[in-house]
Amino acid sequence: MYANDVKMSWEEVIEETRDFLSEEFEVDRDSILPENSLKDTLDLDSLDYVDLVVLIDENLNVKLTGEDFKGIVTFGDFYQLIRQKLAL
Amino acid sequence: MLIEKDAITRYIPHRAPFVMVDGLVSATRERFESELTVAADNVLVQNGFFLETGLIEHMAQTCAASFGYLDSAEGGEPKIGFIGAVSKVVVHELPPVGATVRTVVTPLHQLGNIYLVKGESSSDGRILLGCELKIVVSE
Repeated sequence: MYANDVKMSWEEVIEETRDFLSEEFEVDRDSILPENSLKDTLDLDSLDYVDLVVLIDENLNVKLTGEDFKGIVTFGDFYQLIRQKLAL
Repeated sequence: MLIEKDAITRYIPHRAPFVMVDGLVSATRERFESELTVAADNVLVQNGFFLETGLIEHMAQTCAASFGYLDSAEGGEPKIGFIGAVSKVVVHELPPVGATVRTVVTPLHQLGNIYLVKGESSSDGRILLGCELKIVVSE
């Protein structure tokens, strides 16, 4: 995985993701934990999911669709989705 | 012109006095372009100038007309859409009555029935307003 032309490990991808999610959605970075609810922690409504998709695309170059979010409950689920997309 | 003024209401649900797009210049899935000449009796004209809200509504109706046209061209029915959110608004200047506004909209992302689009309106080569809209299309 490359972000900003620097090769990143999977752990670094997660940390980077926590950074931009906490900044964009103005939540405590420490609340972004694998077992926590993605929707509740980031306080997402249906329009916010578009912002999430844009963020993931811009930061990780991963394209997500509405179908991808089916079954995604926790950040752990979300990270696995991204990992599958990145084929890491 | 792809769709002239007398045919625009076939593709949008809006009716007078709230039709804020005169015609569709072009429409593909990647880019929409429309025109509006600001009439003195436009309900969103104040003190001789078309308001920011008018420009944003014009941009949203550009999306509605374009989606409607493209859906029709593909054999579907035009759908109803709503402005879900407006962001990154930058207002440079407002067009006076009589000015022709040309608006270009680019769809950026789609998530289900929600589209994130970026638009810019100009008149005589001068940029009027730019913003992003989230358009929710009824399913």
